[in-house]
Amino acid sequence: MKGYHLGELEELILLTVGILDQEAYGVAVLQEIKNQTGRKVNISAIHTVLNRLEEKGFLKSYMGGATEERGGRRKRLFTLSATGRLAIEEVKNQRNKLFDQLPPLALDFSYGQ
Amino acid sequence: MDNKRKHYPPKWPDRFLEFYCNPNRLEQIQGDAYELFYLNLAERGIGYARFRFFIHVLSFFRWSNIRRTKSTYRSFNQGAMLKNYFKIGWRNLLKQKGTTFISVFGLACAVGCCMVAYLFIAQIWFKGMLQPNKEEIYQLTYTVEEENGLVTYGSVAEPISELIPEQLSQVKNHSRVLMDFSLLMQNNENYNQRVLYVDPAFMEMFVYRMEYGYPGALREPNQVILTDELSEKLFGDTHPIGQELSLVVNGEEVLYKVGGVLADLKDMDMFNFDLLVNFESHPYSSADLPVKDAWNSELWTFVQLEKGVSPAMLSPGLAVLKKQQNQINPEKPYVELGLLAYTDLVYQIGKIKKGVRDFLGIGPQILLGSIGLFILILAVFNYINIAVLMASRRLKEIGVRKVMGSRRSQLVAQFLSENLMVCFFAIFLGCLFAGFIFLPGFNDIASKNLKIDLLNDRYVWMFLGTMLFFITIVSGLYPAVYVSSFKPVSILKGNQKIGSKSFLTSVLLTFQFTLAIISIVAGVAFVQTNYVNSTRDWGYESSDKIIVNVPASEDYLPLKNKLSALAAVNKISGSQDYVGNWIREQEVVFDEEKYEVSLMDAEANYSEVLELKVKQGRMFNPDLISESQESVVVNQTFLDRLGLEFPLKEKITLDSMEFSVVGVVEDFHTVFFQNPIDPLVIRASADTTFNYLTLKMAPGSAGSTMELVKKIWHETIPRGVFEGKLQTEVFDRDFADVRGVKNLILFSAILAIILAALGLFGLVSLNMNTHIKDYCVRKVFGADLGDLSMKLARRYLIIWGIASLLGGGLSIYLISAFLNSFFAFHSGVGAIPLGFGLLVLFLVIAGTVSSQIRKIVKANPATILKAE
Repeated sequence: MKGYHLGELEELILLTVGILDQEAYGVAVLQEIKNQTGRKVNISAIHTVLNRLEEKGFLKSYMGGATEERGGRRKRLFTLSATGRLAIEEVKNQRNKLFDQLPPLALDFSYGQ
Repeated sequence: MDNKRKHYPPKWPDRFLEFYCNPNRLEQIQGDAYELFYLNLAERGIGYARFRFFIHVLSFFRWSNIRRTKSTYRSFNQGAMLKNYFKIGWRNLLKQKGTTFISVFGLACAVGCCMVAYLFIAQIWFKGMLQPNKEEIYQLTYTVEEENGLVTYGSVAEPISELIPEQLSQVKNHSRVLMDFSLLMQNNENYNQRVLYVDPAFMEMFVYRMEYGYPGALREPNQVILTDELSEKLFGDTHPIGQELSLVVNGEEVLYKVGGVLADLKDMDMFNFDLLVNFESHPYSSADLPVKDAWNSELWTFVQLEKGVSPAMLSPGLAVLKKQQNQINPEKPYVELGLLAYTDLVYQIGKIKKGVRDFLGIGPQILLGSIGLFILILAVFNYINIAVLMASRRLKEIGVRKVMGSRRSQLVAQFLSENLMVCFFAIFLGCLFAGFIFLPGFNDIASKNLKIDLLNDRYVWMFLGTMLFFITIVSGLYPAVYVSSFKPVSILKGNQKIGSKSFLTSVLLTFQFTLAIISIVAGVAFVQTNYVNSTRDWGYESSDKIIVNVPASEDYLPLKNKLSALAAVNKISGSQDYVGNWIREQEVVFDEEKYEVSLMDAEANYSEVLELKVKQGRMFNPDLISESQESVVVNQTFLDRLGLEFPLKEKITLDSMEFSVVGVVEDFHTVFFQNPIDPLVIRASADTTFNYLTLKMAPGSAGSTMELVKKIWHETIPRGVFEGKLQTEVFDRDFADVRGVKNLILFSAILAIILAALGLFGLVSLNMNTHIKDYCVRKVFGADLGDLSMKLARRYLIIWGIASLLGGGLSIYLISAFLNSFFAFHSGVGAIPLGFGLLVLFLVIAGTVSSQIRKIVKANPATILKAE
């Protein structure tokens, strides 16, 4: 886990950005999370996390894609950087490794006796 | 899509977001917020969407999103923007010279008037406040229990001053101050002057700039310090230091040398005096009075505390002094011996007896203040009207600027900065007006010595700054906000109508006209009253009479004898007071009721000398000795007030002696027409000594004998000031005062008319310029002069009508009240002033409109209409 400190929400958002590919920005991430997990995240929290992830170098961003709903304002579109992808993989591996070590749901009631 | 167009996110949260948000992040955040708003709108309706938007904006208010220190790039940009505002403003002002002139001139007149009013009022309220030590100076006061409760006096027992050094160690300086009217003799001329007897420490507590000499000159008991004014009067151009003069105090003549001359006080000193004299040289101080008498004599005492000492720290010492006084003077025990801050003296007027200042003169302050305010309102309204109308020429500029992304606040800043320039010039010009035209005129009228003292008086600067700010905001804010509110689309399409027909313009114009009418009516009513009063019958024959004063009782008989020996003198009579001046009041008891009446003590032949007209009964008979003990003559008002008919059966009681009324004289004016005729009793006193002698001269000889009378007077009384005057001159000062007020009011009326006319001219001519084609088309189709004038003038005539009603009603009410407060006898607000006021305003409107109509009459419609 050296270097990659990802919080739970950070991990979730990082993954969502990866899923959305070229279309990841605040509202899109919000809705994707809602659709995929049913979880309502506050938009400002998403912004904060996105910005933090960019600062850490896991995400890259550029401005683009103005629409009328936005009053002609552009979106800040995020993409996964190489480090970001590495980080997800690292986390996933880490988790899998730990998961694998879970003892099977042993029906051995001897424990504790 | 349709309902997206219909609804927008709520404005205030959106502005708040723009306000706090870091510009780098604003676009993404605002975009997301908008997008969510429309999502919510589609899902759950407008109310929910708005609410969520608001919540979102709040939740974005996080440290990382909040804008912090502005970059240098921004501030540089703002400086350039400001410069740009002023540059454009300057060009605009130059482009519209006529209207700029109207605005600047009007505002400058207003500023000038306000400046004079301010100086007058400030001179009363800030009197003495230029003293650098004012915060440390206190006056000693005491409170005693009297019939009507506690009364505070501004003077304290004289010996307290001597005890101050031992009892009040925190006092740095202290000085007794005694004001006295003394006879000043210099170079064989006598003057009555206001002398301030002070301790030498006075010059350390109060700082005066010296013209000649040095402040310490008072340490020598035989030296005096003169004011600039007195030195000018006594010595003219010669160097005053070392010159000799003498003062007569309590009958003693003391010789002094001039040790210094103060620079011009400009009426701004707390004390009104002509010269300062060392207290030691006052006979009052050197005489060895018995202890009790010394404690009974009271005078003002001022102390200056050491820096940082609060007045509360003196209370133990004051308590000791109080105790001491109460032991010596048990009949009049001090309830409290206190300190009154020098800076509070003006607020204590009326509350403290025998204080330094006892007169505030609210009336003239209100008069001047309201004149200043009238003119200011007129000028500001002119400016608002014209500014709104002028902006109609700049609609395209406003539209283009808006499209280019300028915010409303920036447009407001543009207009306000132009306004600031106008106001700045107006204030500058106004100061010049005030300094060189208004103030000298006003000083002349009010016999004041007001000056604009930009170097020493920081209050003036505060006043000017406040004026600049106030006028800029009041006159500029509405036009700026109104003009910048237009939508660029409608401006650029040419749909935007502006200005001349707006409701507000009409309201402002009505108000202006009303003010103008009121001021004209006031002016005319005052002139009329003056005219009526100048021809009013005084109730007695005033010609061929001379009044001379008698300063001391021992001079009375010799003077009377010498004057009656003159060939031109027909009759001579002594009196306590004289007709035409204040007459002392006395209580009369009749039928067990008390009445306040004026009492004229005089010789028995006084009413004959004065040629009073007998109405009923008879005059005194000078040959009957009993007259002086038993008889009085009263005036008609006396009978009216007491509700009596002439042959009175009962006697009236004066000074607990009974008198019978032997005659009634017609009412006559003892004091000026500002006061009503009071009930008057003339009592023939025994031939004692009187204060005044009235000489009845041979017809036509009064004026020419005056010099002779003066010569005899001086021969008889070497040490005195001759105050002789003709009976016809007794009201001269009052007439001059009233003339002064008349001039003041006439001046403001004329100014009001000029301003209203200028404003109207601006409006009409701008209106004409925008509609000139309209008029030309009408002319082509055969409209004649009357139709065109009517078209242009109708609106103003309607406004004139409304203003006439308003102004007429208001002026009947206001001006009558004003005249009543000023005169007991006046002509009232009749048809003449009202008619005159309305007529003048009508002529102004007619003149303005016809000057514009001339333009059309002269113009050739072909050239104007073909222009495009």
